[in-house]
Amino acid sequence: MIVPLEHVLVLALAVFLLGAGCALLRRNLIMILLGVEIMLNASGIALVGASLAWRDLHGQAFVLFIMGVAAAEVAVGLALVVYAHRRTGRLEADHFNKLRE
Amino acid sequence: MNAFPMLTVLILLPLAGSVAAMAFARYPVACRILSLGLTLTQLVYLLAVVPLAGMPGTVVLREDLAWIPSLGARYSLAMDGISYLLVLVASFLGILAVLVSWREIRSRIAAHHASLLLVQATAIGIFLARDLLLFALFWELQLVPIFFLIAIWGHEARRSAAFKFFLFSIAGGLLMLLAVIGLYVSHGLATGSYTFALADLLASPASPFLQGWLFAGFLLGFAVKTPIIPLHIWLPDAHTQAPTAGSLILAGVLLKTGSYGLLRFGLPLFPHAAAQAAPLLIVLGLAALIYGAWVCFAQTDAKRLVAYSSIGHMGLILLGLAVWEEISLQGSVLQMVNHALTTGALFVMVGMLYERIGSRDLNDLGGLWQRIPVFSSFFLLFCLAAAGLPGLNNFVGELLILVGSFEQHPAAACIGFAGAVLILGYILRLVQATLFGPGEAREDLADITPREAAIVAPLAGAVLFIGLVPSPVLNLLRGPVKALLAQWGG
Amino acid sequence: MLQTAAILALILPLLGFVFHVAAGGFVYRRTVETVACAAILASLIAACLALAAGWGGASSVTLFSWFRAGDFAASFDLLLDPLSLIMAVLVGFISLLVHCYSVPFMRGDPGYVRYYGYLNLFVFFMLAVALADNLVFLFLGWEGMGLCSYALIGHWFHSKERISAARKAFLVTRTGDVAFLIGVALLFAQGVDPSVSGIQAEAGSLPGWTAVLLGLLLLWAAAGKSAQFPLLIWLPDAMAGPTPVSALIHAATMVASGVYLLARLFPVLALSPAVLLCIGAVGTLTALWGAASALAQRDIKRVLAWSTLSQVGFMMLAIGAGDPAASMFHLIVHAFFKSLLFLAAGCLIQALDEEHDIFAMGAKLRHRLPHVFWPFFLGVLALAAVPPFAGFWSKGRVLSAVLAQPGAGYAALALAASAAALLTSLYSFRLLLLAFFGRPARTDAPSPESVPLSTAWVLWPLALLCIGAGALDLPGHLGASNWLTGFLASAPGVPPGPDTVSETLITLLDTGLALAGLLLALLAYGPAERFFPRVPEGARFWNLMARGFGLEEASTRFIARPYRSVATLLWLRMEEGVLDRTTSGAAALLSRASSGVRLWTTGRLSTYLLMLLAGLTLILLVAAGIWS
Repeated sequence: MIVPLEHVLVLALAVFLLGAGCALLRRNLIMILLGVEIMLNASGIALVGASLAWRDLHGQAFVLFIMGVAAAEVAVGLALVVYAHRRTGRLEADHFNKLRE
Repeated sequence: MNAFPMLTVLILLPLAGSVAAMAFARYPVACRILSLGLTLTQLVYLLAVVPLAGMPGTVVLREDLAWIPSLGARYSLAMDGISYLLVLVASFLGILAVLVSWREIRSRIAAHHASLLLVQATAIGIFLARDLLLFALFWELQLVPIFFLIAIWGHEARRSAAFKFFLFSIAGGLLMLLAVIGLYVSHGLATGSYTFALADLLASPASPFLQGWLFAGFLLGFAVKTPIIPLHIWLPDAHTQAPTAGSLILAGVLLKTGSYGLLRFGLPLFPHAAAQAAPLLIVLGLAALIYGAWVCFAQTDAKRLVAYSSIGHMGLILLGLAVWEEISLQGSVLQMVNHALTTGALFVMVGMLYERIGSRDLNDLGGLWQRIPVFSSFFLLFCLAAAGLPGLNNFVGELLILVGSFEQHPAAACIGFAGAVLILGYILRLVQATLFGPGEAREDLADITPREAAIVAPLAGAVLFIGLVPSPVLNLLRGPVKALLAQWGG
Repeated sequence: MLQTAAILALILPLLGFVFHVAAGGFVYRRTVETVACAAILASLIAACLALAAGWGGASSVTLFSWFRAGDFAASFDLLLDPLSLIMAVLVGFISLLVHCYSVPFMRGDPGYVRYYGYLNLFVFFMLAVALADNLVFLFLGWEGMGLCSYALIGHWFHSKERISAARKAFLVTRTGDVAFLIGVALLFAQGVDPSVSGIQAEAGSLPGWTAVLLGLLLLWAAAGKSAQFPLLIWLPDAMAGPTPVSALIHAATMVASGVYLLARLFPVLALSPAVLLCIGAVGTLTALWGAASALAQRDIKRVLAWSTLSQVGFMMLAIGAGDPAASMFHLIVHAFFKSLLFLAAGCLIQALDEEHDIFAMGAKLRHRLPHVFWPFFLGVLALAAVPPFAGFWSKGRVLSAVLAQPGAGYAALALAASAAALLTSLYSFRLLLLAFFGRPARTDAPSPESVPLSTAWVLWPLALLCIGAGALDLPGHLGASNWLTGFLASAPGVPPGPDTVSETLITLLDTGLALAGLLLALLAYGPAERFFPRVPEGARFWNLMARGFGLEEASTRFIARPYRSVATLLWLRMEEGVLDRTTSGAAALLSRASSGVRLWTTGRLSTYLLMLLAGLTLILLVAAGIWS
């Protein structure tokens, strides 16, 4: 492997934190979904690096699965966001707080 | 083991009735008749069929089936003289509860009768169970129908009373369940066999330290139900706000489950801890007697007065149990029966007064003797029984408890005897405020109706019978008490 | 024969009660009254037959076994010895007269079924006390008497004062009953069979302290029922009941039952001289207390009530002096003259339309109602112990018994008892003079028909007995036989009387006391009263005497009222306050905690995501820590 596993993991962590920051600190629903996507990709990076480091193809297969699931999840999520926007005309996450006690 | 499950029938009959009653939601009269028929059948079965398998005082009927083998829990029931007596009282009061509700309950009649029958089933389960897990199951299950009885068909402040009752009982039940599991685990660790059966656990070699904690758990669970002061707070509200049938069942059956639990499980399972706790229990029992009688005196609500009197009587029963001596134990169990009959009768009669006059306040009652003499004579009879007049039932139980305690704890017995004066104080206050005095001009008070006579006359008969001829009851108790004492000499 | 008769004597009044309860509302009034009187008459006949059949011996009979647990057994046992049979005959006799008197007296009272029912029931309970062997059975009769007394004092239950008086009577006597039961428990714990025969057989085996304790407990129990100090406050107020009830229960039978109990269980008392002295002291104190209070009363029934407890004090004194036969003699004689006085007072009260104040009666009564006056006069002579009437002999016996005991304590008691005897004579003649010789007389005097013969005839047998009952136990130095003492001595447990100690002296002393009282009364209340200092009938001290020296007020102030206040306090402050508020407090605490936690549910997605992330991180860190 051309780089040590630790570097890959640090990259993955950094991307993960960026994605988490995006998901937590942005109010726009679409931005939250973006953040989730980034976090999923970060986990993919970590999996690929681990797969190369330990010479096991299962990791890369896992990444393919993750990509498929992420695509499906984004589709559903965006559909919900579109529906929510159609209903209320707003896209702030804080606006949808009716699940509170 | 019996081929025919005699004891399970006692539990299944009211249980099935409870389910069946719900089907009659549209036909209230049919529902009432069904419940009445069922409770009568139960009593007849108990009196006629069960002795065929063996006379209750001498023979112990058992049933033992596998239930959850992986946990070591078995479906194990047994009926000795003590259990027989308490099941008899529960069945008898069940009939009276149905009769009492005939006019009083007007809404959701099917649910009401279902609750009554379910209470009876679970109470009988408590009195018969000999497996700790089964016992705990019935113990927790009993709370549900009573909660509904108070919360739906009760009086003005029923919601808070029901909640208070429920929370207290659940807390106590939880502690008891923890203690059960603790005992199970400690026994299993010590002997290698994990079992919930009472007979096996009686010989459990737990360490004294652990015994203390486990006993405390059991004691707190039973203390809420008995009740032992200061955990009695739920009782006045629950009794006052419950409908008459509910009060009858509460006083007659529920309170007995607490003291029965102490007698059968709490004290025998932990002999050393119980011996150490005996002085505390004696003090608490006497305190309940005196405190209950004293607070009773200041009451203005007739039902609340009778509720506080319950606390006093149960305190005396606790004294008899804590002393753990042959005569006082027989007296305690007899007094459990007596209290169920006398206090139940008083609740029923106060309920009848409430139906007529619309008030439980002592200031509104008065001068009843000249208007409804037959009713008043019965009321006076039950009040005198509660005051411990010789020739009526309470006297026998009280005398046995106190004579039995005198040898080991003379001071406690003297205080117990002196409590009789305090009891007479509030009884005379009750009698005077309701029956005597000038009374308001009330033209149209109906004297006792046939249905009410059918409720009150058997109670009066039982009161007189046990007062004058208590030997049949005491014969039922002699053997089982000796067996209990043999487990732990005290 | 003996046993059947005794059982019948006991059960017949109970059957009368059952009849009244079951059928009283459905038959004619005459039938109810007839059944009541017939039951008592039959019981009396049976008791007399039993006495004749069992002359001098003792036997026991068991009706049925009541209950037993362990070694403790209670059963309906009877012990038939001279003492119990004489008591049974006495009770039957007085009850019969009172029942017959009640028929015309209570005419027009609508609650007659209740009245005769309870009266019959009372006789049953009293006979149970008289005849019982097992102490628990005796207690049945003991408490039952308390119940009947409560019901009969409060017979006219519309009046709040009357039912309060009834309640007080029941409560105070029950305070005494507690000691009775403790005594039973003590006996059982010591291994003695708790029955009269058991005590007679094994009393000697009791250790010293047990005997003392038991004696004191029995004294307390007897003091409750017999209205002795300090449990005497209930008897004067018990006069709120109908007069026949006062005559039967609160003069002749129930109040004497305490003394009877002590006489029956005398073997235990005899074991400890300290207890006997104590009993004597209580009796003497009560005798003085009652006599002084009787002197200041205006209500005729209250005079007689205080007089009763004073006379019962004399009976207690006799027991304390070690002579239960003397006590029984006085008990019998007292029953005769006291019931006579009460019944006569009842006639007066009815004739004068419920007038109780003796100052409102007067000389006209003597002229108009001679058939009431003469028996009353004879009763007063017996009460004041004027020779040769019955009271003179019985009181003389008591005093001679006290003087026969050595020691300074008994000498003091003898002195006090003599003072009480003087006061007795004084107040009884005061009563007579004010009621029948007083001036000014009432302007409206009743006619002789207002006390018909049907009411007044019962007075005459009693009056004759007041004259002649002394013959029961005439003292030896006059050449007579001490018959009653000898008869009772054959009963186990009643020791023979003391030797006659200068009885002539005592006879002279008694006569002197009685005549001195008569003289003082004549001076103060008689025709020559204006020549002598006025009796301070309105003074503060006099009023204090009239109120029984304030014992009643003390008990209200220090017992009844604090009890009620503490009860309210316990209820409002403790129950509703502390305990209820603790639970609501706990509930409120939980409720506030939960609303604090509720702040987490903001409904905002960002918060949830943050918490999700934080929580996951924490869990994974912990898991990594554990696995490494």
